Amino acid sequence: MTGRAWLRRLWPLAPVLGALVITSGLLLLFGVSPFEGFGALLQGAFGTEAKVLSVAAFWVPLTLAAAGLVVAFTAGLWNIGVEGQIVMGAVASSWLALRFDAPRPILLVAEILVAMAAGALWAGVVAIFKTRGGVHEIFGGLALNNIAIIFTNYLISGPWQPPEGGTFRGTVPFPEKALFPLLGVSRLSPLSIALTLGALAAVYFILRGTYWGLKLDALGRNPKSAFLLGVSSEREMILAMMFCGALAGLGGSVRVLSWFDSLRQSISGGIGFLALLVVMLALFRVVLVPFVAFFFSAVLSGSISLQLRTQLHSSLGGILTSVMVLLVLLFGDYRQLGIFGSRGGKALADE
Amino acid sequence: MSKRFLFRLMALLIIPALLLSACAGGTVEEEQEFVFGVVLVGPKNDRGWSQAHYEGGQYVEENMPGARMIVFESLNPADKPEATLEGVVDDMVADGAQLVFTTSDEFEEDTLGAAEKYPEVTFISISGDDAWAEGQDAGKAPPNLGNIMGRMPDMKAVAGCAAALATETGKLAYLGPLINFETRRLAASAYLGARYCYDEFRGMDPDDLEYTVTWIGFWFNIPGVTLDPTEVTTNFIDSGADVVLSGIDTTEAIVVSGQRADQGERVFAVPYDFVGACDEKPEICLGVPYFNWGPDYLETASAVEAGSWEQEWEWNKAAWDALDDRTKTPIGWIHGPGLTDEWKADLETFIDGMASGDVVVWKGPLNLQDGTTYLEEGEVATGQQIWYLPQLLEGMEGPSK
Amino acid sequence: MHIQLQNIHKHFGDVKANDGITLEFEPGKIYGVLGENGAGKTTLMKVLSGYHKPDHGTIVIDWTDRSFFSPADALAAGIGMIYQDPLDVPSMRTVENYVLGRSGALAVDLGKAEEELTAFASTVGFEVNPRAYIDTLSLGERQQLELIRLLSLGADLLILDEPTTGISADQKEQLFNSLQKLAGKDGKIIILVSHKLSEVQELCDEVYVLRRGRKVGGVTLPATKQSLVSLMFEELPKRTERASYIREHTIMQLQDLQLSDGRILVGPLNLELHAGEVLGLAGLEGSGQQLLLRACAGLVEAESGKIIIEERDMTRFGYHKRREEGVAYMPSGRLEEGLVEGLSLTDHFVLAEPQHGFVIQRERYQQLTEERIDEYQIVGQSTSRVEELSGGNQQRALLALLRKSARLILLEHPTRGLDVRSAEWIWQVLFQRAAEGAGIIFFSADLDEIIERSDRIAAFSGGQMSRIVTADQTTTDELGHMIGGEL
Ligand SMILES: Nc1ncnc2c1ncn2[C@@H]1O[C@H](COP(=O)(O)OP(=O)(O)OP(=O)(O)O)[C@@H](O)[C@H]1O
Ligand SMILES: [Mg+2]
Repeated sequence: MTGRAWLRRLWPLAPVLGALVITSGLLLLFGVSPFEGFGALLQGAFGTEAKVLSVAAFWVPLTLAAAGLVVAFTAGLWNIGVEGQIVMGAVASSWLALRFDAPRPILLVAEILVAMAAGALWAGVVAIFKTRGGVHEIFGGLALNNIAIIFTNYLISGPWQPPEGGTFRGTVPFPEKALFPLLGVSRLSPLSIALTLGALAAVYFILRGTYWGLKLDALGRNPKSAFLLGVSSEREMILAMMFCGALAGLGGSVRVLSWFDSLRQSISGGIGFLALLVVMLALFRVVLVPFVAFFFSAVLSGSISLQLRTQLHSSLGGILTSVMVLLVLLFGDYRQLGIFGSRGGKALADE
Repeated sequence: MSKRFLFRLMALLIIPALLLSACAGGTVEEEQEFVFGVVLVGPKNDRGWSQAHYEGGQYVEENMPGARMIVFESLNPADKPEATLEGVVDDMVADGAQLVFTTSDEFEEDTLGAAEKYPEVTFISISGDDAWAEGQDAGKAPPNLGNIMGRMPDMKAVAGCAAALATETGKLAYLGPLINFETRRLAASAYLGARYCYDEFRGMDPDDLEYTVTWIGFWFNIPGVTLDPTEVTTNFIDSGADVVLSGIDTTEAIVVSGQRADQGERVFAVPYDFVGACDEKPEICLGVPYFNWGPDYLETASAVEAGSWEQEWEWNKAAWDALDDRTKTPIGWIHGPGLTDEWKADLETFIDGMASGDVVVWKGPLNLQDGTTYLEEGEVATGQQIWYLPQLLEGMEGPSK
Repeated sequence: MHIQLQNIHKHFGDVKANDGITLEFEPGKIYGVLGENGAGKTTLMKVLSGYHKPDHGTIVIDWTDRSFFSPADALAAGIGMIYQDPLDVPSMRTVENYVLGRSGALAVDLGKAEEELTAFASTVGFEVNPRAYIDTLSLGERQQLELIRLLSLGADLLILDEPTTGISADQKEQLFNSLQKLAGKDGKIIILVSHKLSEVQELCDEVYVLRRGRKVGGVTLPATKQSLVSLMFEELPKRTERASYIREHTIMQLQDLQLSDGRILVGPLNLELHAGEVLGLAGLEGSGQQLLLRACAGLVEAESGKIIIEERDMTRFGYHKRREEGVAYMPSGRLEEGLVEGLSLTDHFVLAEPQHGFVIQRERYQQLTEERIDEYQIVGQSTSRVEELSGGNQQRALLALLRKSARLILLEHPTRGLDVRSAEWIWQVLFQRAAEGAGIIFFSADLDEIIERSDRIAAFSGGQMSRIVTADQTTTDELGHMIGGEL
């Protein structure tokens, strides 16, 4: 491999390094040695078994949503609504968990399926607004995010409000049998790991080897040409959104059935938006998604310790990841640099 | 893409980050230190519940040599979806914390788990009732878990009294959050204070006093889900109420009343829960009942350090002679600039009466809203009766459930 | 400004797009660059304009060596290029596009920029509306805008890569007038890449001819068409006699068809197309011929009337349904509308051919693609991404994508961007389809092509269709009158 090829390979790491440098600078500015700071961060993410499990537990819904987003992005769709789809998945699972009784395996499967259906439906609405009503999916998605959150609040403070004496910001804890089986005292379930790996494999396979994946790819690159080549844009767009929504909904299900044990006011708390960042940092490639998501999860979890240790502002982890994504967006697509001499210079010609 | 453009972007990016971090300070290592953790549900400068706790922690640091606080702010799934109480406690204990305050009812369940996990660390779950021997959850708490709560109903009675002194229409309104034991208890206590003062100082028949409670459905406004507190307050005033008491986390009651006062109407407000709440519109503010955690925190921390702490469910009374002294009282009342001297004098008399025990507002005969007897003639309510008040009281308008 | 290209090499993998080219350009002259498809014209121009870095060789401006890292770099040195493939169309106003890329304060004074833009446009002889959104402009107008932008940024050398494909005759005339003025009065260098020899003869002072990445000749005009063609091709394209394949069987029937796109009303039309017939449509851009073609393809809904294809009423069938029923449509846009940038040739065939199951059988399509590459003489591999193909080869790929089973073939500008020989060859392929019984309708901006390739011809003017004439009994003159409205 030539030097240039290596450079191209390693290029995606540049923003990571850049972000490290910037945050180190920040730490220094506040009198914390970066070594100590990042040491605390590492400790916070991997210091004990419990912490590693917690990182992994947060990784699950993040990865699920991000894997779904790769499909939507491939079709050229900005599924900002993923946050609301996570919430709706959580709500749907909670509904079964609160109201239905069945043997555990049946109940769990039903909870998972109904969560995926709810997420898919929620995404489908956005897609239909887009194809039929001409409402851009970003606006439709944002609106539906709000509705999903309002809906949970309504449920928590209305029909699903716990009897007096309980906490006010969530439902009562679900019965044990409605919850995912957990590893020890962690919030991680082997079941959700299996589901996530399955989802990643499915997305990889769909995008690599199937007609549907290729159609989405064509659609994302050039909808007009794709239509003329025989791709039914409306149908595929709706399906792509629904697929993404189903995975997001599954993420929501994991959130209520293993991270929490009840429906809370902010069940997702921005995991959907984080997933968007993950996908961008992963250069929209599903093979990179699990690693980037793990990285995000570790940095965010680790920054809890960082905050406690340094008593600096707790957003440091958030800043680190956001800086990275911004750097990726700035330099990200190495082809745009023109230094490798292929297409894309045209985009720069306007600058 | 020009270099200049890049530079601009970087600057844009770094500056807010710097500003964000500027709110924080560094740490100083000390030899003989006593480390305690404070877990907040909101930001430490929210001008409300969380800030009061943060200031309580600062009070301990100032008054106890060697004390060091570790704070964790905004532990809630909306702000930190990746964080759990358990994880935060793990870190605090690893950093040497011997005492951890968890300051929201949301943490109640997880605090139990943490207390079981770390038996050698003392946990204080604020506003919980797990450690109350006579409470409904009695026996749930491990021995290293205690509860602290200020006896806010007393201060609410003062608030109600102030309202009764100020009203001319004889119509008071209470802006409530959602319905549960705590909120019912507070609304009822304000009502009882108002009745007492309407009778005692105004010489009016307390049964003529109209007292309406409207529950918006949550601690703050959620468009589309809760009633809009702005609208509710407007309706209160439109239907003749001239004092609005707030029971919610946000400031709509005083803000709207202030606007109406600016239009020439005679209205007053009593906000809730943060010392500085009157600042929104001082001239119509009759006063504010507030939490002041410092003294209790300090007492708890000293006891833990000395090894003399024992499990307790603390429902702390006010230091009646020093309601505005933040070194003494766990709950307090601050006179608002809206009080006239005459009202102030009456209110002081009322407070003195409460302090000496001459005035007891939770005293029979009292009926519940459905007409059943709550307290017999001359009977004084016990702690449990007040804490677990099952309905609103007769004479209060508004739903109990 | 005086420019020399010295020994320019540019390779893409094994393809030697430019293989040691040396050229010279002098101020005040208009140069033509000729060559068959894939000869390396676009590549060379992109090297000159900073889009590509040459593997080898130097660009000498006013006797100093220069190397460019980006088109912006080249533009700063006075070299501007208008590209062959349509530029991305952003949704912004003309004036906003105009101020883009200007350095200076963050805040721009759009009012001032508007004045500047209109003033500049009038000196070149164009009229622009600064407030119009770019995506509503025609190709010709966008080209004018780009030209103005380059000139306002100080371009002294203007490269136009096949600028006359897809613009109206009026716009072409305007363009040529201003180019002549720019060269003659302002002393600028103009480089015109084109396959239309008549245009080159009309406009240029000097001509360079490329073949397979090398320069094979330079001619000072005037010169005969014949001599230019013989320089461009090793073997001369031969004109084959055109037979008629018309059969009895009717492929398509239009009954009182009325169409509208909001701007013009077309029809009512009545028309019959027979198997084996080639029907050519003439007319200025936007006169209704494209609307008709798209209505036949199912891309535009009929206002009223019927479209009967193979004896079935397909008026209500959408595009995809008609495709399954044997209707094939080739758009004029290439990378804009037709091919998907970023996907390989094989990917395109996977999409275009009927689907089998869920999982793609790669080998199968690979084989199919290679067959078509051979058949249509596309210079490229099955794994080549379509944007790596030269303009002419993209056109061939579009044709190769038309399904074999198609009974009704609808073509927009079938030979746009093809060199003379390729155009001839493509028509042989199409006639083969006709001989097999397909009906063909096409339109083109080139009247000679229409007369030469059609069996029957109709002209459009303002949405009205003329009488139908037989190709071998009409003349360009008659067609010209029909286009002008003498229906
Ligand atoms: N980016 C690229 N990657 C790989 N091959 C390329 C690329 N660009 C051009 N080529 C190849 O280089 C050769 C010359 O292409 P070029 O576009 O310069 O031809 P051209 O003379 O402009 O042809 P046309 O008249 O068809 O536009 C072609 O074989 C083409 O396939
Ligand atoms: Mg070309």
